[in-house]
Amino acid sequence: MEPLSSYLIVSSALLGIGIYGLVSKRNAIRLLFSVELIVNAANINFVAFARYSNPPILSGWDIVFYSVAAAAMEATVGLALILVAFRLNGTIDVRRLNRLRG
Amino acid sequence: MPDIAFLALSGLVIASAIFALEAKELIYGAVGLAFSLIGVAGLFVLLGAEYLAMFQVAVYVGAVVVLILFTIMLVQRESGRIVEEEEPGRLGRAGVLVAGLVALAVAGAVIILAPVSPEAPESYRVPLRELGVSLASSYAVALVILGLLIGATVLGGLTLAKIDREEKPSGTAQ
Repeated sequence: MEPLSSYLIVSSALLGIGIYGLVSKRNAIRLLFSVELIVNAANINFVAFARYSNPPILSGWDIVFYSVAAAAMEATVGLALILVAFRLNGTIDVRRLNRLRG
Repeated sequence: MPDIAFLALSGLVIASAIFALEAKELIYGAVGLAFSLIGVAGLFVLLGAEYLAMFQVAVYVGAVVVLILFTIMLVQRESGRIVEEEEPGRLGRAGVLVAGLVALAVAGAVIILAPVSPEAPESYRVPLRELGVSLASSYAVALVILGLLIGATVLGGLTLAKIDREEKPSGTAQ
């Protein structure tokens, strides 16, 4: 059985990769990838902490159910927004979607 | 002694996450994301939550990644070229810096602050019966709100994706 901290290190690596994508990528779909990676890092943490409690806490698994479902909803709306932005602007490069800039 | 399955799965998760962001073709990136999410499901299995892993694969790989693939195909076929452009190197370096700092800070805090390897029960599987009962009793309100959220998402997606043929702005792709 791995120690708890190894799971937490994997999850912080995933968080770091996600933040890197959010900061440096220009394609809206890749930003969506990054958000999914960050949500998954959080889910790993929930499951790992729930498993390593003694006795294991059931709420950790419950909340991951809701988290996965909510992340799917978020991806759906995000993709619909990307399609609309593409239809209106002809690009999904977030650095060029700056019509609202003051 | 580190577990081989754990090492392989975390390697898969991290390598395909990096590939998802760095692949030249967006389609391959989506496939990399799918592999990363499957690896996370494998970690769930190692943690004794098989049902959660099945849910993760069904929802993420089955629904979200397929949806992303459809969107990529729609966007790319209409524009006829890959939307991705060269990132300025400055931005990439800033991203690596920020992400590395955050990841190091989190990992350091974890190692320093985490309770020293709490003793977990050796073999444990989520009791599905109790999980279902708690989903339907203690968290019943959250379940209902989740249903409302799904309904709102379907409505919102339909509204956003509806093409207004009369008021279509002229000269734009579509």
